[in-house]
Amino acid sequence: MQAKVGDRIVIKGHRVGEADRDCLVLEVHGPDGGPPFVVRWGDSGHESLFFPGPDCSVVAYDHVLPV
Amino acid sequence: MLVRDALRRSGVGIPAGSSIFDAAAVMEASGVGALVVFDGSHLAGVVTDRDLVRRALARRLAGDARVDSVMTAPVATIEGSADLDDAYVAFRATGVRRLAVLDDAGRFSGMLSLDDLLLHLSSHLRDVTRPVAAEVRAPHHDSLLPVPG
Repeated sequence: MQAKVGDRIVIKGHRVGEADRDCLVLEVHGPDGGPPFVVRWGDSGHESLFFPGPDCSVVAYDHVLPV
Repeated sequence: MLVRDALRRSGVGIPAGSSIFDAAAVMEASGVGALVVFDGSHLAGVVTDRDLVRRALARRLAGDARVDSVMTAPVATIEGSADLDDAYVAFRATGVRRLAVLDDAGRFSGMLSLDDLLLHLSSHLRDVTRPVAAEVRAPHHDSLLPVPG
């Protein structure tokens, strides 16, 4: 998985009724835009390292800009 | 099946100097119950929600206590390219509930949990029980076959 600074990562809920979670990519530490990413979590504003798995997808920053 | 193919969740990590309050907040925000703890680029340990209860709350540690004071180290690891059968052996040998998965370069890439193995087992169990269940629901008795001749 590749991401850019400003992209949003959405993690699907793992159980029925569990809401999706999302975080903002602040830094990209891997080569060629790969993980790990430093992210800020939407709910709390806390930051962490993130290693994407099959439960998440990247929403590119370009795609969320207003038209 | 390889270990890396059995990973179901993203991995989340924090620096060793983070507070236990930050660790709990990141767990809550990310929805994971175990964080890998990094000292620079070194995989220093793992801290779980259970660690925070038993080693921090129960001992009345302050919220700004460092997370590396309550983490479990060293970390039990397995290579992502290993066969999943090796993970069963590793869980049995270490007694832990989660293994840190390393990529070909030896870097952390995710966390394999016992739940992942249970799901893997249950999918295999479903495969073998399906023909049995079909036989129970719609028996194909020999008496129903046409009599030859």
